[in-house]
Amino acid sequence: MRASAASAATSRARLGRFRIDRELVAIGVLGGLLSGLLGVGGGIVMVPLLVIWARYGQRDAHAASLGAIIPISIAGIATYGVAGHIDVRAAAALIVGSVVGARLGAGFLARIDERHLKMVFGVFLIGVAALMGVRG
Amino acid sequence: MSGTTLYVALVAFGVLAGVASGLLGVGGGTLIVPFLTLAAGLSQHNAEATSLLVILPTAIAGTLTLRRRGVGDPALALRFGVVGAIGAVGGALLALALPAGALRIVFAVFVGLVGLRLIYDGRRAEARAG
Repeated sequence: MRASAASAATSRARLGRFRIDRELVAIGVLGGLLSGLLGVGGGIVMVPLLVIWARYGQRDAHAASLGAIIPISIAGIATYGVAGHIDVRAAAALIVGSVVGARLGAGFLARIDERHLKMVFGVFLIGVAALMGVRG
Repeated sequence: MSGTTLYVALVAFGVLAGVASGLLGVGGGTLIVPFLTLAAGLSQHNAEATSLLVILPTAIAGTLTLRRRGVGDPALALRFGVVGAIGAVGGALLALALPAGALRIVFAVFVGLVGLRLIYDGRRAEARAG
């Protein structure tokens, strides 16, 4: 009992009076870096790292990642926004669609087998990657 | 694409990206950025910036939903997100320092890796289910 309390104390980093585990700092920074660099959420790297490294359960990892994306995306928006890169109207149109889509997707999840879909979609993304590599 | 057609396409694509996100766990940004560059004619930097603005309300809505169901610890998530925000500023500044062509290649590599990961996940889940 005492040994684990001691090791828990040493693995907590201190940011001022702000207590947070060292793994979470690293995972947060990595997720944020990816988000800012590529314009994605960052969950793609944060969720697996939270599960494997910080030993979260899948659901908790997903919830933590989603919550972290809020300040992470705000920071990215501010940085890019100051440089004048945001197309607000395009974003608004996409937002309208994705609100509807997210609900539909969550509904489908309960009803269909997404394994095949994942493989097909994975191949599709590789095609997208190739297209991006070739164009421009 | 221009004018109304473009905005209709954006809404429709938003639905697709939302479904993919809800169903496959592939983040919206991974789809939105290529769509904005390949179909909507935005520059790589503009596409990424715009994508982040789309991701924010989605993340808020998702977090609220999970909160209502009692899943997760939002206070902890926000704290570790604030640390992440520092990383995000760094990442964005790095992106802004890169020329569009280089950034596009980095992004393409990322999408390819996500694709490979999805194929792997799909196969592994299939194998387990027998």
